[in-house]
Amino acid sequence: MRALIAIVIAGAALCAQPFDRTKPPATPPIPDYKLPPIEEAKLPNGLAVVMVEDNRFPLVTARLTFRAGSRNDPPDRPGLSGDVAALLIEGTKTRTSRQIAEQMAAIGGTLAGSADADGLTLSAVALSESTAKLLELMADVARNAGFPQEEVALHQQNRKQALLQQMSDPSYLAHREFHELVFGKHPYAHTGPTMASLNKLDRNAVLAYRDLYLVPNNAVLILIGKLPPKAEAVKIIEAQFGSWSRKEVKAPAEAPLPAPKRQLVLVDRPGSVQADIHIGRLAATRTDPDYVPLQVGRVILGGGTTSRMFVDIREKEGFAYDAHAEQAPNREAGTFAAVTQVRNEVVEPAMKAVIGELERMEKERVSAEELSNAKNFASGSFLLMMQTQNALADQFVMMRNFGLPNEYLEKFTGRVRAVEPDQIQAAAKKYMGPEQAVIVVVGDASKIQKAVEKFGTVTVTKIQP
Amino acid sequence: MKPNGPSFVLSTFMKYLTLLLAPLLAAADYTVPIERYTLPNGMRVVLSQDNAVPVVAVYVIYNVGARSEEKGRTGFAHLFEHMMFEGSANAPKGTQDKIIESNGGQMNGSTHPDYTDYFETLPSNKLASALFLESDRMRSLDISAENLQNQKEAVKQERRLRFDNEPYSTAIVDRWPQIAFHNWQSSHSLIGSFEDLNAASVEDVRRFFKTYYAPNNAVLAIVGDIKIPETKKLIDQYFSDIPQQPPPKRPDLSEPGAKGATEIYKDPLANVPGVIIGYPGPPRRSADFNALYMLDAVFTGGDSSRFQLDLVKGKQSVLQFEANPGWPFAAANDYKAPEMYAMFMLHKPNFNGTQIISQVQDEIAKIQKDGVPQDELQRVRTYVRSTGIMQLQSALGRARLLGQYEVFDNNPGLINTEMQTYMGVTSEQIQAVARKYLVPEKRSVLEIVPAPKPQGGKEGQ
Repeated sequence: MRALIAIVIAGAALCAQPFDRTKPPATPPIPDYKLPPIEEAKLPNGLAVVMVEDNRFPLVTARLTFRAGSRNDPPDRPGLSGDVAALLIEGTKTRTSRQIAEQMAAIGGTLAGSADADGLTLSAVALSESTAKLLELMADVARNAGFPQEEVALHQQNRKQALLQQMSDPSYLAHREFHELVFGKHPYAHTGPTMASLNKLDRNAVLAYRDLYLVPNNAVLILIGKLPPKAEAVKIIEAQFGSWSRKEVKAPAEAPLPAPKRQLVLVDRPGSVQADIHIGRLAATRTDPDYVPLQVGRVILGGGTTSRMFVDIREKEGFAYDAHAEQAPNREAGTFAAVTQVRNEVVEPAMKAVIGELERMEKERVSAEELSNAKNFASGSFLLMMQTQNALADQFVMMRNFGLPNEYLEKFTGRVRAVEPDQIQAAAKKYMGPEQAVIVVVGDASKIQKAVEKFGTVTVTKIQP
Repeated sequence: MKPNGPSFVLSTFMKYLTLLLAPLLAAADYTVPIERYTLPNGMRVVLSQDNAVPVVAVYVIYNVGARSEEKGRTGFAHLFEHMMFEGSANAPKGTQDKIIESNGGQMNGSTHPDYTDYFETLPSNKLASALFLESDRMRSLDISAENLQNQKEAVKQERRLRFDNEPYSTAIVDRWPQIAFHNWQSSHSLIGSFEDLNAASVEDVRRFFKTYYAPNNAVLAIVGDIKIPETKKLIDQYFSDIPQQPPPKRPDLSEPGAKGATEIYKDPLANVPGVIIGYPGPPRRSADFNALYMLDAVFTGGDSSRFQLDLVKGKQSVLQFEANPGWPFAAANDYKAPEMYAMFMLHKPNFNGTQIISQVQDEIAKIQKDGVPQDELQRVRTYVRSTGIMQLQSALGRARLLGQYEVFDNNPGLINTEMQTYMGVTSEQIQAVARKYLVPEKRSVLEIVPAPKPQGGKEGQ
């Protein structure tokens, strides 16, 4: 409450200033995020329930998320979690795929499954007047998916075509190669299926994965929107999910993370008019104290259009249309990468520029002005994201999968505000240093191999689905 | 409407009455409050207050797009959009982004066939920062040879990255408009040729700015955590002294008739074949358009749409599809006539383009023969209504719609009423538009076929 009063006073003070349209206006500090009312429950079978009130729109957004993702794929079946997720909605003991689709549309909704490294999630949205029906359908696909043979076969064919299509996208190729190199033998190394794993996809493997991991004690149900009162909502949830049996889930075998080391790979893409460059390495997880300082450092290096990379590589040098830094926090280890796509002729100076910016993050403290701007950018981006039910639901999925408390959302902007320049430099030394980074370049080897060789011994690979 | 005569209008009206109950309920789902006025210099303003999340969206839309370009200047509207980010008298080059991003906001712009827009979303107490920036560049854009040269290079790089290096993009951007339209205003490339980009002069930029970027050719929409009186005062302070200009001449967009062309494009970057099919559509917001909008939802709206269930699932021929009136550069609510109702499908290699086209025409034929069964139509209505509410969730989503409805229809209130119109569309009306518009004689087709990959050393383009 006190913060609110301070903002109101600051606002009043600003109004009293004489108007001058030749200078950017002074504005009050960015407000904190305020969580809407949250109710939680746990069913006897271990299913955790989170209910978040949002009465602005007559919608309800739901997630049923399981702690199992591509991390849990059998080593010889990369991408299996994604296949399971996609096939959940393709038929149950009592509903065909068509009936599921029609019944969802009839309540103004959509229902789909997806998997990432650490989680498998059913995502749904519908008009809030049909919350009970939405939960009925979600429970049915989560508990009773039948994986009909013909649906598995169709998914297999279509996923193979989708993979072929992905293989024509240079940024997909770069992303995939980057993960394989950074994570080495760790299961995070694979980001999706291969042609070989899709060729041997079968119903039994899908069923086995489902039976191992899709159990209530390994799941969280998140509901956001115009919801019934708690007691009533819990009753509906119990009716749909209460008889679902608990089952012990075995944690996947521990996998060591490789030590960072320089690797330089050129993925040959004949005919490419430009080169896709990723330079990066393993980085902090979201629960790591380094995470927020690293994130603020990422903004300074390559977040938004006032970042060093954007200004240097796009605006000053004109090498690229896009230049940015990205950070992906998986549960066991995140990644950090500087990314740009440049025309063939400037591959060498552009790589030099990116490496130079990474080194500068290690060697120099960031300036007070850059730091203040980056903090505001990080806090503001966070607030802007909180406008939709989908975005808020995804935040809750992330928090539950990574073991973060609800206050994480309210405390985020405060944690950003508290970051010191030394913390950023320490995080940069740990996670940005280019001398031990993986460098992946996707492009036409006949045009750019010589330029890439300036940075060390290059392994040239062919595109292999 | 005309060919059907008065009896059709009457019967339509009767059916509409029986359906009125459901649409009224739908309209009460969510009402966007609207405050609308015009500054003395002709700039139209639309405000909408919503204090739920401390966020505000500022949306400036100019009534000019790629279809206003002149011959020899393809890509100019988009090049000009880039110039708007090069600085102005009090927000010089390099400071624009800082003004927004250092205040926790995000900004961007985009160029479309019939409009160009610029927008910011910010923490709501930073509203003045966006108004400062938007008014300063509307008043005093910094137009210099150096900035122009710099942005020509940026646009070329954007072309290399987003079009020349991506499968399907060249076909969609450069070829499809030529197959869809006779009129050069609509058929030329929106991103432009390198030759035309190089030819653009500083004088071209000055003239374009003065003609089209005047307050009387713009709409400002603000949505979010604002107070109306204070916001009005800020708008007045920042915008009211920007001089107005004579109204610009609008291009003649008329089409002599359906082009009905067919072409095969060999795409060395594509691995999976695709096909684009389009039919000239009715004018926006006509009764036929509303019916076509619902027909599109029957065909392609969600997992229980006919294309999903019949083509992806049933015939197992199509892999992915997208479609809408105005595809690929416009959405259903943001263009001036004429546009195509067009669809883009990726399909399995064991089917050829001709087979896909005939499967689509068979789907159309079913509607032409039988209309849409009541239970299916009711489901599609609910789906359309729900997706309509979903796109209102973000402040920018609402600001966009309000600005576009104001520019194209002089009626931002459509954000609250248009859904009702769609809900009233009947099976007979859908059947009638399918018969009138979606006929093979009017169809244009572009097949995209994967071509052999170039060998090392050979140019891809």
